[in-house]
Amino acid sequence: MNDPARTISRTEAEELLYREARLLDTMQLREWLGLYAPDGLYWIPIDETQPAKRTASLVYDDTPSREERVYHLEQLPFPAQNPRSRTVHMVSNIEVLGLDEDGSTRVASSQVIYETRTGDYTQIGLGEISTIVASVEYRLVRLQGVIKIKLKKILLINREMPQGNMTFIV
Amino acid sequence: MTQEIQRVSPYFSDPAPANALIDDAGGHFRVHARAYTDQAIFDLEQKQVFSRIWVYMGHESEFGKAGDFKTTHIGLQPVIVSRGEDGQIHVMLNRCVHRGAAVCRELRGNTPHFICPYHAWKYSVDGRLQAISGENDPSGYSASFDKPEGLRKVPRVDHYRGFYFASLNPDVVPLADYLGPTARQLIDRKLAQAPEGKITVQGRPFVAVYKGNWKFQSENIIDGYHFMYTHRSFVQLQAKYGDTTGDFGVHKGGSAAEMSKNRNLGNVTGGVHGHGINQKPVVGYDDFFTGAFAGHFSALRDRYGDEELRWVLGMGAGCIFPTFGLIHNQIRVWRPIGPALTEVTIYPYSLNGAPEEFNQGMLRSHERFYGPAGYGAVDDVEVFALNQQGLSASDDAWLIMERGMEKEKRLDSGEIEGLPSSETVHRAFWRQWRRLMNSN
Repeated sequence: MNDPARTISRTEAEELLYREARLLDTMQLREWLGLYAPDGLYWIPIDETQPAKRTASLVYDDTPSREERVYHLEQLPFPAQNPRSRTVHMVSNIEVLGLDEDGSTRVASSQVIYETRTGDYTQIGLGEISTIVASVEYRLVRLQGVIKIKLKKILLINREMPQGNMTFIV
Repeated sequence: MTQEIQRVSPYFSDPAPANALIDDAGGHFRVHARAYTDQAIFDLEQKQVFSRIWVYMGHESEFGKAGDFKTTHIGLQPVIVSRGEDGQIHVMLNRCVHRGAAVCRELRGNTPHFICPYHAWKYSVDGRLQAISGENDPSGYSASFDKPEGLRKVPRVDHYRGFYFASLNPDVVPLADYLGPTARQLIDRKLAQAPEGKITVQGRPFVAVYKGNWKFQSENIIDGYHFMYTHRSFVQLQAKYGDTTGDFGVHKGGSAAEMSKNRNLGNVTGGVHGHGINQKPVVGYDDFFTGAFAGHFSALRDRYGDEELRWVLGMGAGCIFPTFGLIHNQIRVWRPIGPALTEVTIYPYSLNGAPEEFNQGMLRSHERFYGPAGYGAVDDVEVFALNQQGLSASDDAWLIMERGMEKEKRLDSGEIEGLPSSETVHRAFWRQWRRLMNSN
């Protein structure tokens, strides 16, 4: 459990989380895909107490689904991202909680994401800044010397309530 | 008629007569923007539409045992739906009869009783007033106190095969008659997909609030025309990814051309009470009996036969007037909040007796298309906001709903059948809306 080769420090976790936030805010989504382990999961549950297989999640993306999400955002115009969202991710309260049974490092964080749509701000649905507030838990692993995300689990504080357009990457 | 319509100005503050908001003279079928934007029309809808007909409340699987409850609405009226100790489903206003506080603050749960937080008046889970705190205090109630029986009951509650509806109108038509043959057929076919003939609401719903009128959702869920355009990016995703990212065989066709061809199968039916039903026989029927769930589908074939099973397994969508929808493996409910504000709740369900892997596959498919981060419904919601936005250009007041008018036929039941991407179902919706808005 205390293998120093496998332990990930808070500084290393901070660097990864800040980098992820920057890649998302600058729409470098191919690079964002590269942050994940091959079996990585990007998950936004509604009811985290139930097995994800048996309840609907807001997002439940394995590797093929994350690639599809990025392809959709980068290559295909669609109404909910026309005009585009612009985001700023604020990441704080980063804490290494310890090693999980599978050897991954559990990292807690608090995140606030501000989002707005560009375009004609006088129109309904545009011209507002929305706020997403979440506790975001990570499982990080070191693969061939590089730290990767095995799990990003986003617990929105309002996960049971109505959600707006979440077609950008949270 | 046309002259009268042209006198209606969107700048008038008086309520527009419903007749003047639909122009169906001389081969037209056009709806005036005020039907979607006007506060006076919205207020009138509460009285003339939502208080007079059946409104969907919930599914039996949400109330498995006595004490199970949820909160919902009939139009703007907040209600509690519960299963009582008597085993029956009860619907009552979520308002203490004493001084008016809401007695239930949870979305759903199980409770032996509701206690008002203000003065602790206590109600059974079916709404009967069980105790008044300090009833016999010196400063309490007189001997002649006209004591209420309990929370105000919604007078009519009924169900069709586990789908519960309620009505504020004691004289509403029987529910089975209200649904009519085609809406009952759609429900029957949805339930026929389950080996046990029943469904179970599964997990938590998706909820969205959009800045548009509630009738945009009523129109859209059975709009066969928009799919290839609003959902163009989804069609392109399907062409690239097919079943590899979770569609689970729901949307047939490996290319836009193939999907477009499939969308033109089947028909739509406009019901006499304003419902719209859209059904298509399934594509790739033979594949069901060779795949991973061949045993499941073969058992259904033995029961229903090939002809009916093609429709059972095909695309089926419905808008039960005014605000209840079925599509995919989901129950959809929407509710008016204001002329330009609407909440939509989408409950996925599983098929009782179907293989666990099949139900899980359908749940992933639901997640991928209908969630707020998905590839379908969020684009519809975006369009509802741009509908409302567009109608602020009120100098051009009319919306055109005339697709397929020449090619529809009246069935013996009085229902009207049209082609799949026609606006037959929209016209049925609006005719019923006008009837209700004009009736006394």
